[in-house]
Amino acid sequence: MGERGKSKKMKQRDAKSLSIQKASKAEEEPQKPLPQRVDTDSDSDYEDFSQDDRIENSETLSESEDGESGSSGDEDNLGNDSSEDSEFLVDSEAGESESSGDEDFVKTGNSDALGDGNDQQDGSDGSELHQGDESDSSEDEVAPRNTIGDVPLKWYEDEPHIGYDIKGKKIKKKEKQDKLGSFLASVDDSKNWRKVYDEYNDEEVELTKEEVKLVRRLLKGQAPHSEFDPYPEYVDWFKWDDAKHPLSNAPEPKRRFIPSKWEAKKVVRYVRAIRKGLITFDKPKEEDGPYLLWGDDSGSTEKSNHLAYIPAPKPKIPGHEESYNPPLEYIPTQEEIDSYQLMYEEDRPKFIPKSFKSLRSIPAYENAVKDCFERCLDLYLCPRVRKKRLNIDPESLIPKLPNPKSLKPYPETCYIEYKGHEDAVTSISVEASGQWMASGSSDGTVRIWEVETGRCLRRWEVGEAVNCVAWNPLPDVHILAVSVGQDVLLLNTGLGDEEEQKKISELLHVETSAPDDSDSKTPNVNWLQDNKHEGIRLRHFKTVSAVEWHRKGDYFSTVMPSDILSVCCLSFVLIHQLSKKLTQKLPFKLHGLAVKSTFHPTRSIFFICTKKSVRVYDLLKTKLIKKLDTGLREASSIAVHPGGDNLIVGSKDGKVYWFDMDLSSKPYEVLKYPDPPKDINNVAIHRSYPLFAWCSEDSNAYVFHGMVYSDLNENPLIVPLQTLRGHKRTNGRGILDCKFHPRQPWLFTAGADKLIKLFCH
Amino acid sequence: MDMDDDAEGTSRRIQVRFVTKLKPPLKVPATAIAIPANLTRFGLSSVVNSLLEATDNPDYKPEPFDFLIDGELVRMSLEEFLVVKGISVEKILEIEYTKAVAPRKEEDPSLHDDWVCAVDGSSPRFFLTGCYDGLGRVWKNAGLCTHILEGHSDAITSITIINPEGGETSTLATTSKDRTVRLWKFNPEEAIDHPVKIRAFKILRGHKASVQSVAVQTSGEMVCSGSWDCTINLWQTHFDTDGDLSIKKRKVGGQVEESQLEGEAVSTLVGHTQNVSAVAWPLRDTIYSASWDHSVRKWDVETGKDLSDIFCGKALNCLDIGGEGSALIAAGGSDPVLRIWDPRKPGTSAPVFQFSSHTSWISACKWHDNSWFHLLSASYDGKVMLWDLRTAWPLSVIESHSDKVLCADWWKGDSVISGGADSKLCISSEIPIQ
Repeated sequence: MGERGKSKKMKQRDAKSLSIQKASKAEEEPQKPLPQRVDTDSDSDYEDFSQDDRIENSETLSESEDGESGSSGDEDNLGNDSSEDSEFLVDSEAGESESSGDEDFVKTGNSDALGDGNDQQDGSDGSELHQGDESDSSEDEVAPRNTIGDVPLKWYEDEPHIGYDIKGKKIKKKEKQDKLGSFLASVDDSKNWRKVYDEYNDEEVELTKEEVKLVRRLLKGQAPHSEFDPYPEYVDWFKWDDAKHPLSNAPEPKRRFIPSKWEAKKVVRYVRAIRKGLITFDKPKEEDGPYLLWGDDSGSTEKSNHLAYIPAPKPKIPGHEESYNPPLEYIPTQEEIDSYQLMYEEDRPKFIPKSFKSLRSIPAYENAVKDCFERCLDLYLCPRVRKKRLNIDPESLIPKLPNPKSLKPYPETCYIEYKGHEDAVTSISVEASGQWMASGSSDGTVRIWEVETGRCLRRWEVGEAVNCVAWNPLPDVHILAVSVGQDVLLLNTGLGDEEEQKKISELLHVETSAPDDSDSKTPNVNWLQDNKHEGIRLRHFKTVSAVEWHRKGDYFSTVMPSDILSVCCLSFVLIHQLSKKLTQKLPFKLHGLAVKSTFHPTRSIFFICTKKSVRVYDLLKTKLIKKLDTGLREASSIAVHPGGDNLIVGSKDGKVYWFDMDLSSKPYEVLKYPDPPKDINNVAIHRSYPLFAWCSEDSNAYVFHGMVYSDLNENPLIVPLQTLRGHKRTNGRGILDCKFHPRQPWLFTAGADKLIKLFCH
Repeated sequence: MDMDDDAEGTSRRIQVRFVTKLKPPLKVPATAIAIPANLTRFGLSSVVNSLLEATDNPDYKPEPFDFLIDGELVRMSLEEFLVVKGISVEKILEIEYTKAVAPRKEEDPSLHDDWVCAVDGSSPRFFLTGCYDGLGRVWKNAGLCTHILEGHSDAITSITIINPEGGETSTLATTSKDRTVRLWKFNPEEAIDHPVKIRAFKILRGHKASVQSVAVQTSGEMVCSGSWDCTINLWQTHFDTDGDLSIKKRKVGGQVEESQLEGEAVSTLVGHTQNVSAVAWPLRDTIYSASWDHSVRKWDVETGKDLSDIFCGKALNCLDIGGEGSALIAAGGSDPVLRIWDPRKPGTSAPVFQFSSHTSWISACKWHDNSWFHLLSASYDGKVMLWDLRTAWPLSVIESHSDKVLCADWWKGDSVISGGADSKLCISSEIPIQ
């Protein structure tokens, strides 16, 4: 049974035109032979090849008597062959030209037969009827009787006719049998079950055996014709696998074996485009790796895309005091409860334990509604937010520095104090061998101390507050340069043996005529003999703030910072030569206010520290070599590393800048130590040990390890070592000067508390 | 015994026997007694004192004692000491006692005009001081000055006696910050009412900076001096064969004409890189020197070569050789630690002892002449401390100075003389060191 494919279609069509009234009956009594002939036509319709010789076919079919469920083609042959045939002919004559559907033909056939059987009307009706329904095939023989077309039948309900035949005549409605009569008739008629009322043509149709079969098949959902095979064997007509001769006998062309030049060009173009980045490829999609099926409990809320659920903090587990009958010690006394009233609302305990006899006697929670309300407010107004906390060990953020213990020796403790000054000690200077130290103070005295014992060896009264003292760096020239007000005094310290003394006194002798000659060149500096102190007095035209010796002990520089009130806002840096008693102005134009100046430890380079920057000059070539930007508000001091490539600058805003001049003109390191920042008064670098220090107004001195490597690739290493305390702040000032001992890792500090301290390792 | 009964009856008792090297009046009977274990030095001392009192001496004066167990001084309670040292109490414990080393008497300070920065007490007949006013003084006793050494133009930094056992005339050597070493001669025996001013008979010039210290060869023929010019100079002290030396007539003070010899250095030991702050000459051909360059060096006098170095990491101020076999080196410097090295220990330059009770620089250290264990140290913190190698705590602390102590020395074996920046010379006497 392979007709399922078409059966559906068939069924629909049948259902359209046929109102099968007694299909159920037909099923009940399938055995009864159909009295009427039908439908070889319908069969022939399906089987195209048999159409031409339909007549013969029908004749042959008519021979077989039995209408039972045999083969579909030759089943229903009824007795009245001749009538059938004639009818057939008439029909064909009438509606030969019309096209009609296959199934319709079946119906019309039926209707004809019925018509024949019942009232013997003219055969043209069938063709008419046919016309209304279908126009598929041209081979319909039976035309429908009624010609009203596909109009609603209720239009004719009240009419005496049901429609018109092909000739335009009204087709009269048949008289309706009364129910009793029809019942009786149906009882009598054994073939009643296969009768169907055709409303359109107003007649009863008796279904043939084949039609019943067909209906049954349709009802079963099978193909209407049993011969139909919906799944025929596939015949591959175009198969030529083992064909002996190919379609073309031509030999394989050569081009199929040669790489295509055109393609190669195209490839090259693509390659270039890819290289240029004109063509980009989509990245291959990353495939999800293996994942935990049940997810990670901890991170699951964070990973999910939707709103993360933040679990509420866990409430405290109730303790004994929450019990309905807590132990006595948990129950507060009346005084305690009263004292709660005095407390602030927030500090008050939320829950006051009470004792009840039984669980039953516990009252309802009085704040239930309020709590609910507040909880809702919390949820509404204060959504919980997950706080992202960086999980970094704070220790790991601190740069790795060597342990200060391993960088010994460095000054640690104060062992010797140099007492004697009556006012703040403003400046100190240590003699080259380290045996003596000179200090200048605001009390107008200059003193020389023995480093070893703390004894004051000598003392000069200079009258005014001393700004700066500087010991000549040569070990055999014991001359001290002291800046006092507008003067610079060169003092003979009286140390050294007779020969040295002779030399010194020669150096410190000025011929009186000298200042007159050089008036044109020298900018108003007079070299005068100072008889009182047995030295030289250099009278400047402005206050001298700093004195600094050149390493060879012949030249020294003085800095005169301009006071803001002066007309020309210029500061002056002068270089004096001791042996020739000469004074030179710097051959450069100065920008900014000079604060300090210093000489390069080995080369003829001169550093001038102005308030905002440090300028480096070559004295031989008389040009500016470098300008170091500090970005400071006000620099206060400068010190050059003995190697000459590094220098540190201290500022009045508590910062110290370490410059590596090989590296850049920007500071290599900025050190901010005192907190809150205090003025840094002086910075110092040790001549031989890798130490540097600064002193500030907070009366502390800070010692650092500052190692400069000879390897240029290695940056200087700076390690904070020690904070030296001990000075007292006096009049708002701390330590005013600090100097290293030239040979020992010791630091001298001069404080505003009139003391000089020596910090030893 | 009866003494134990008044002591606490509840504590543990230890069987002990007291022994001593002291002379009979201070000897206790050598019978074993049981004493409470919680006694400290004071308790032990009172036990011994009552024992002595009970034996024979009716007019006995109590005396503080120090106690040694197995060569260690007891500085805690007896019980603790035994636990720390792991000594069993089953056997009878032998405790040696000696007189406590502490000054019994403080002499009146001898006032100077300026800081006292050099003392020498190697002669029992007198002692010497050097002062910042450039004068050296000879003292017969506390407060009794016999001679004043005049001539230095700057502070005297060290002073020493060249022939301690010499007969009538004693010879001295002084060094000064005026870069000279001067030799002096005087007769200590002459009875004088008021101080006599004397002048140097020989001036040794050659140093280019302050001379810091002087030391005399054991035979007295030569002196050596260390200076700020980083050298050590050796000088002849012979004054008999002075024919080859130039004799200079010098005018001193305008009136007195005096003959002063001038000498030149025999040889110079070069090697230190900084101030040579102390020298010592314990053997005929070995000189030790301490310097601010953090080293102690041993020199061979004949060759002038540097034999060995000890580095200590601190600038050194003082040095003395003594102790066991006169071989231990004691030195102190720019930190509060007194260090003692044993140069006989091979392959190590670590100090064998370190005493660190001072609080400032150590300015002087001296071994006791006769004891292997005792030495003193003076410090800028104003204290003089007496040390025993057998304990890490100072035996006694002399706090007679009100400022830095610049120098200190033993005198006559039982006194400590010290000078300081308070211009005082203090003598602490009657220190019992046997």
